[in-house]
Amino acid sequence: MKKSLYTFLLVALASISVVQAKAQVLVIANPSVKATDVSKNDLKDVFTGSSTSLGGSSVVPILLKAGTANEEFLQAYIGKSDTAYRAGWRSLVFSGQATMPKTLDGDTAVVEFVAHNAGTIGYIGKATPHDGVKVLAVK
Amino acid sequence: MKRFVAILAVSLAGALPAVSQSLEDLNIQFHGYATQGFLYSNQNNVFTTTSSNGSAAWNEDVVNLGATPIPKLRVGVQARYFLLGNYGNSITLDWAQADYRFDDRFGVRVGKVMTPFGLFNETQDIDPSYMFALLPQGPYSIASRNSQLSEYGGVAYGTLKLDKLGKLEYRGWDGIRAVTKDDGNFLGQRESGTTLPNGISGSAIGAALHWRLPLEGHALMFGASDLYVFQKSGVISNTPTTGASQTTTNGTETVSPFSQPFIFAKYEHGRWMLAGEVWKSAAKQFVSLTGKATTESINDNTAWYPMLTYKVTDKLTAGSYYTQEFNTAAKLGPARYLKDWVISGRYDFNQFLYAKAEEHFIEGTLTDFDTTMNPSGLKPTTKLTILKMGVSF
Repeated sequence: MKKSLYTFLLVALASISVVQAKAQVLVIANPSVKATDVSKNDLKDVFTGSSTSLGGSSVVPILLKAGTANEEFLQAYIGKSDTAYRAGWRSLVFSGQATMPKTLDGDTAVVEFVAHNAGTIGYIGKATPHDGVKVLAVK
Repeated sequence: MKRFVAILAVSLAGALPAVSQSLEDLNIQFHGYATQGFLYSNQNNVFTTTSSNGSAAWNEDVVNLGATPIPKLRVGVQARYFLLGNYGNSITLDWAQADYRFDDRFGVRVGKVMTPFGLFNETQDIDPSYMFALLPQGPYSIASRNSQLSEYGGVAYGTLKLDKLGKLEYRGWDGIRAVTKDDGNFLGQRESGTTLPNGISGSAIGAALHWRLPLEGHALMFGASDLYVFQKSGVISNTPTTGASQTTTNGTETVSPFSQPFIFAKYEHGRWMLAGEVWKSAAKQFVSLTGKATTESINDNTAWYPMLTYKVTDKLTAGSYYTQEFNTAAKLGPARYLKDWVISGRYDFNQFLYAKAEEHFIEGTLTDFDTTMNPSGLKPTTKLTILKMGVSF
């Protein structure tokens, strides 16, 4: 009985941790983007240049330059360090397959840009005010 | 002078990100990279360098300008200064294109475009994009870049979602392939006194398919491509390097139509990457000099490799590959094959600066060994050490 309870508590704590880890970063989009949620695979495709559409809308990814939200987003949804992630984009740039996504200095700048530019999609820390944009649920 | 330009380019790299940002407001982007390599071989000079004494004659400087004037349309140009031994030492155009991406399923780019065959052809000359200093030289010969990398024409591309079967990426291309007179393919001819003053060119078409399987947490891709080159021809000039007569004779060189099929696969999971490829290229060359009988030569090359890399830390990656290439039309001996064991490491100081260290254990002299730089004759084995640094922005 004690062992079962202990196991249950461990699993519950782990689940809460995972949920909290996921919830630290919000994926935001301009209201013109039709999608209300996005799969992890589709999100990765957009932010690695493999795809330019989401839920029937053309989308353009907006990146953060650095910081906690940037690291958490890359770890949770891209699976690469910031160095490897930028190198991947440069590979596309130098082979003529893409241009480098716009990169902004902070969460506030990302919210401001996404709110005023149709088709844009970005990521910010959970605690950042995000008026004027929609939040996409990551499933 | 060109070395000074290279050093200047690297020095300016730190200031350029700020310039990139202001140009970005105009939807114009400026990027670039520069590399400096060092080669040392225990015997046999490689790539027309004096590598047996140590050689730093390996340098690249690339500038890239791109813009997105309207949504879905990208235009851009990329130029390169390349030096490797006696190869290059000139500024060339990598690509210059307009690319319109209707949607994920269909896009088209036209101009001078990179040819998207094999696993690495689109990125084989983009040193910052992969961990090895040298890719397997059979399919990706650094000395024969001009004949492989790009063509004047167009590429159609797209991705088709197959639901539970994953995704299918396709590429199709058509264009003119222009090979310059200093390409590595013509090294043996140049050493015997034959040059192609205007290079050689002909039409080429091809297609590639990449099937990406839908495995959660894993990335697995199988691919195949084929490049079909129609007959190519060019004017030649021959001045014998031996014998009593040094009279120059003109004529024509013709390469018969040939195909270059590739089969490849790539698997990535966590810190691991595993890849492999098989490639074949068989072609006949006919040389017709005025007043002389036409000579025919045949190359029937096959190459393959498995490759493995492991991300030790966020900054350090280690890797290895083993490759074989052989020309079944060549006479028996070391010149018929190339076998290469490679151990390599790459360290990324930050997102801009990196270094590579690599050791090659080579048997055979099929690719990239020339007689002019090895007057005592070629030895059957070579150990080659490579150190390389690069900066990109």
